[in-house]
Amino acid sequence: MLLQDLSSIEDPKLIEWDWISDNFWEDIVPAIQGHIFLSFVSVAIALAISLPTGVLVYRYRKAYTPVTFVTGLLYSIPSLALFGILISIPGITIGPTPVIIALVAYSLLILIRNTVAGLDAVPAETIDAARGMGLTDSQILLRVELPLALPVIVAGIRIATVTIIGIATIGAYIAGGGLGKMIFDGINRSFPTMIITGAVLATLLAIIADLALLALERYLRPWARRRA
Amino acid sequence: MSGILDVLRRPDFFELLRQHILLSAAALLIGIAIALPVALAIRNTSLGAALAINIGNIGRAVPSLAILALCQPFLGFGFDTALVALTALAIPPILINASTGLREVRRDIIDAARGMGLSGSQVLTRIQLPIAAPVIFAGIRTSAVQVVASATLATFIGGGGLGELIVEGTQLNDTTILLAGSFSVAVLAIITEVGFGALERAMTPKGLKIAQKRGR
Amino acid sequence: MIEFRQVSKTYPGSGSQVVKDLSFEVPEGEICVLVGPSGCGKTTSMRMVNRLIEITEGEILIDGEPNTAMSGTQLRRKIGYAIQQIGLFPHRTIADNIGTVPNLLGWDKGRIKSRVDELLDTVSLSPDEYRDRYPAELSGGQQQRVGVARALAADPPIMLMDEPFGAVDPITREGLQDEFLRIQQDIKKTIVFVTHDIDEAIKMGNKIAILKQGGVLAQYDTPETILAYPNSEFVASFVGTDRILKRLSLVRVGDMRLEPANGEAEDLPRIDGNLSVRDALSEIIGSGSTKGVVERDGEKGLLTIDAIEKLSRARDDLRD
Repeated sequence: MLLQDLSSIEDPKLIEWDWISDNFWEDIVPAIQGHIFLSFVSVAIALAISLPTGVLVYRYRKAYTPVTFVTGLLYSIPSLALFGILISIPGITIGPTPVIIALVAYSLLILIRNTVAGLDAVPAETIDAARGMGLTDSQILLRVELPLALPVIVAGIRIATVTIIGIATIGAYIAGGGLGKMIFDGINRSFPTMIITGAVLATLLAIIADLALLALERYLRPWARRRA
Repeated sequence: MSGILDVLRRPDFFELLRQHILLSAAALLIGIAIALPVALAIRNTSLGAALAINIGNIGRAVPSLAILALCQPFLGFGFDTALVALTALAIPPILINASTGLREVRRDIIDAARGMGLSGSQVLTRIQLPIAAPVIFAGIRTSAVQVVASATLATFIGGGGLGELIVEGTQLNDTTILLAGSFSVAVLAIITEVGFGALERAMTPKGLKIAQKRGR
Repeated sequence: MIEFRQVSKTYPGSGSQVVKDLSFEVPEGEICVLVGPSGCGKTTSMRMVNRLIEITEGEILIDGEPNTAMSGTQLRRKIGYAIQQIGLFPHRTIADNIGTVPNLLGWDKGRIKSRVDELLDTVSLSPDEYRDRYPAELSGGQQQRVGVARALAADPPIMLMDEPFGAVDPITREGLQDEFLRIQQDIKKTIVFVTHDIDEAIKMGNKIAILKQGGVLAQYDTPETILAYPNSEFVASFVGTDRILKRLSLVRVGDMRLEPANGEAEDLPRIDGNLSVRDALSEIIGSGSTKGVVERDGEKGLLTIDAIEKLSRARDDLRD
């Protein structure tokens, strides 16, 4: 009799599929969209900053150490701490802005480092041949060096993107939106379904981005492709 | 600025710092204790190595908040839950680096060692491990920094740590507390990065440092 | 003394037979060179001596005992091993590298140190300068010498050498070959030496085993015999169509019979007594004459193309 009573107590189910189907279009999809938007904007801005910076550092090696030092320092600061520092700055309120600033700051190190490494890997003879054919410096950069450096740069973009998607989840804590909001709300309301949905979707998003960019990286490296 | 120092002098600050360090250290040590033996066990099989690399890569892609949060419904709130999650986060970089490091020891060096009469375990302990040491310690360093950073989030699942100061500052809208928490976490992370970087250099055999310098 | 008795090696997975029924004997104190095109199983055969690769059929005897009498690890500590990429341990000093096997055998530190110094001297590397260096600090040729020293460290009676001078340029290689032959005169090890280069085989080997694809022994003889009497089309084409000239490279001018000078010496090319007859022939022809003048024991003699031609037609062993 005691056993029967115990079994009639409802455990909070780990995944309530009803909730998921009910809130799919209202909460879940916007969260996914917000997350993708946040990540995409951050990667784009980070690239816009780091590609030119990488090229500059490649040309003026003396800048490599200080630039790496600063971006490395930024990378070392744990995300929640960086968010905290950013929202303490007068003029920056909670919301997507500090999140995007932080996400951009995190990806600068890897993107700049890979841009330089990719350009370094271009064989000197190739550049020499291009110059010998009469191309100007900027033509060489755009038509020879950057295209050849692309696989390594994309490898950096891949790591940066996955990192950004991951840290964007934490950004929800300062009202950045995205899938992290579901995770935090789920924890606050002791509602496992929200936690699991948010966490699993964020993970899937990161893994899909990782695999897609890995495929792109392999595609850009035909010599590595053929060997496999 | 003095306000921040006042926060740091709070009695509970030291306790939060202690929790943070304890959580990170425990997760790192357990992670090493799991990842290294696995990497050793699979070092000779290519299937095992491929598996390790893939698991490691996927592990690295998973957002740290997701792992921490996913443990909560199953394991509840508290220090132990955070420890489990952080250990899971600690494993991938060590596993990938240890596995790759051991397998990338030049084939001719291992052949010469076997050919001269070193036994299997002697080849491992006297040749492979010392040569792979820099790569392995680089993996441990990466893992350590990641764990210390993610331990900041432990506060959300009741694991304590310096993240609690950041949360407190945010909720009370108190910039001083917020900055105290953020700065102390940042400093701790930087100390970890620098400290493990020094450890990595210390564990690189001298002959390998020379080889690196000469590009061999 | 090393004996191969009907040794075969087949790989179970692919079923391919890489060594087939190999039988030959390496007399004590001699260098036997295994040579042949790639895929002929020469390296596999060598590695079966120290059981880095296990035999499928047959046996290998060392001084009458099968090489399976002890464990592989113990066996290898008694056999010197030098390979093409050398495989120096980058994280250990030169002294530690050379002392690896003595260390495994439990020699005491003092004995190891003096042995290391002795070996460094033998391979012409100053002990004080090189003992504490690391491999990355040495050139390719120096590393290869250290590789040889390391193989000799425990004074093993037998050595296995797989293209040990292969990783350097031809000039350095020639120097290393000469030096090793000089060392071998003193130490007289029993050596199995693998190479793909027939010229190296002729230079280094007391006996040569020419292997065909699939690990089949084509001919096993002294270099002169192989050059004078190749036993098949395969061997004849492997040693090269210039094999007659190759034979001439085995004889020194100093050993040739010279004709009296008779005052003809003025316009004739000078030939150094240390040259091989082959090189002498090249000099004589190049100068446009039919003779060259050699100075020996203060007296001048003439080396004629006729005499060289007679030599090349001789069916005896040219090197006595």
